[in-house]
Amino acid sequence: MRNNKLIHRVFWIILLALIWQIIFWSGRFSPLVFPSLLDIGGTLIDSLLNGELTQQLLFSLSIIFQGLVISLVLAVFLSLAAHFSEIAASLADTLVAIAHPLPGIALMPLVLIWFGVGRQAIIFIIIHSVLWPLVLNLRTGFSSIPEIYNLVGKNYALSRMQRMIQIMAPASLPYLLVGLKIGWARAWRALISAEMLFGAVSSSGGLGWYIFQKRVFFDLPGVFSGIIVIVIIGILVEDFIFDKIEERTIKKWGMKS
Amino acid sequence: MRKLISLLLAITIFSGILSGCGANRKKNTITIADQYGLAYAPIQIMKDKNTLENQTDGIRIEWKKLANTAAIREAMLAGEVDIGFMAIPPFLIGKDKGMPWKIISGLSMSPLGLMTYKEDIQTLADISDDDRIALPQPGSIQHILLAMAAEREFGDAGRFDDQLVTMAHPDGMNALLTRKEITAHFTSPPYVFKESRDEGIHQILSGQEALGGEFSFIVGVCTEDFYQSHPEIYSVFVQALDQSIGFINNNPDLAAGILTGYYDLSQEEIKQYITWPGMVYSDKVRGLDEFIIFMQRANYIDSENMELTQLLWEVDLYEK
Repeated sequence: MRNNKLIHRVFWIILLALIWQIIFWSGRFSPLVFPSLLDIGGTLIDSLLNGELTQQLLFSLSIIFQGLVISLVLAVFLSLAAHFSEIAASLADTLVAIAHPLPGIALMPLVLIWFGVGRQAIIFIIIHSVLWPLVLNLRTGFSSIPEIYNLVGKNYALSRMQRMIQIMAPASLPYLLVGLKIGWARAWRALISAEMLFGAVSSSGGLGWYIFQKRVFFDLPGVFSGIIVIVIIGILVEDFIFDKIEERTIKKWGMKS
Repeated sequence: MRKLISLLLAITIFSGILSGCGANRKKNTITIADQYGLAYAPIQIMKDKNTLENQTDGIRIEWKKLANTAAIREAMLAGEVDIGFMAIPPFLIGKDKGMPWKIISGLSMSPLGLMTYKEDIQTLADISDDDRIALPQPGSIQHILLAMAAEREFGDAGRFDDQLVTMAHPDGMNALLTRKEITAHFTSPPYVFKESRDEGIHQILSGQEALGGEFSFIVGVCTEDFYQSHPEIYSVFVQALDQSIGFINNNPDLAAGILTGYYDLSQEEIKQYITWPGMVYSDKVRGLDEFIIFMQRANYIDSENMELTQLLWEVDLYEK
């Protein structure tokens, strides 16, 4: 089944690439508008090898990783507090209701004034994109744990801490993963948009900045190579990292088929 | 079989969408695009006095204001804009990448300046690694001038490339005036004038110092396609541009009055700005050689094919 999915992916990608190249060869469009895949590939490999793209990619990934970790910690605290206290629950609900529908980009002017141009501003936008879907999903996850699990835990005389780690965490993991997936997708979009708006900060501006720079220097194959990298990272994270985690945990435990 | 049909269908639809754009045809509408700033004043005069409309019967003239050069370049490539106004470096970058366009005429020369509020920064050498410099975008004339000065003083054109922040002129001015995000701002009129009036803001570098001479700030550009398919409109446009430039130079008071409709400034202020020393409206193109030589040396452009006849429709408009 897995292999099948991979084969299908590869088949469609090759077909799309072929169509692209045929349109290019047909000469209908100026290469300024519609560059050859060979040019795009060449630029992609060049800028990966000379470190230009690699450096920006690592910058983007490190920043998104930081944002994800911080959001995860905040979300777990907020959701646990909300699970055990009514006041915290109503606070969490209100916060989510206010902040969840707000696109990170809409906050950009404020963020610029508060944090200036730079790393903190982007991390803030990422946390904003990830935190709220994560809290929503974790809260649903906690509240959908059957009461009997908790009772069994109490029967074994587990402390509250032990119950959290041994019962609540694994039981709500499917929801956490869904929240993380949504959060990742939103953060990845927010990151690229934010980087395109900001200038380079100490030589690293991330993938978004790389694309912006290629645009102003009128280098369309460069723009495409940036886009391809974004796509590849997206697919890798979805298909490999998240799928692998699911396989080893919730699928193995029989919580998801 | 069914699979094959749906596949073919998908391909047809896909190529159908793509073939919608980019046809070469005679148009009834001519689109002219410029950007924000007093350097574009003759365009606003031309628009306001309907000079072009009066001489081109049956042709609709559309005026567009785009936020940056990259947008103008992309719109011209897509055939959305016929005549665009921009600085020389972005024009050269486009030319280098194969954009089929040439310069119609010069428009203005203008004082450009790198401004800062920091007392202890008097020359480029005083700018530390932590300082941020705002300019419209990499590859803009401000960026290239900064790189020229950096090469001359430190032998390294890319010295400040890691500290750039891209901001449109108005945003950059606000950031500089609030003295928070950025240390310096490379900008053009009226922003450079407004900033210089603020107590404690001073100029580190002027455009002329950076290039080592006079240069055209803004030039008008059109594509080969437009030049060949609309020769009559082309020549009417050149005349109209000439008239507008002459009008500003001969009647700065009247011109300033017209321009109050386009800028949030008083008539006196505009008059002061358009007659500012160094603010010259002229159809002559200057500084081309200096930009080309530097940009080739610093690898901003690769092409050796930068003959004057490749760059200008009327070579005699070029003044060394």
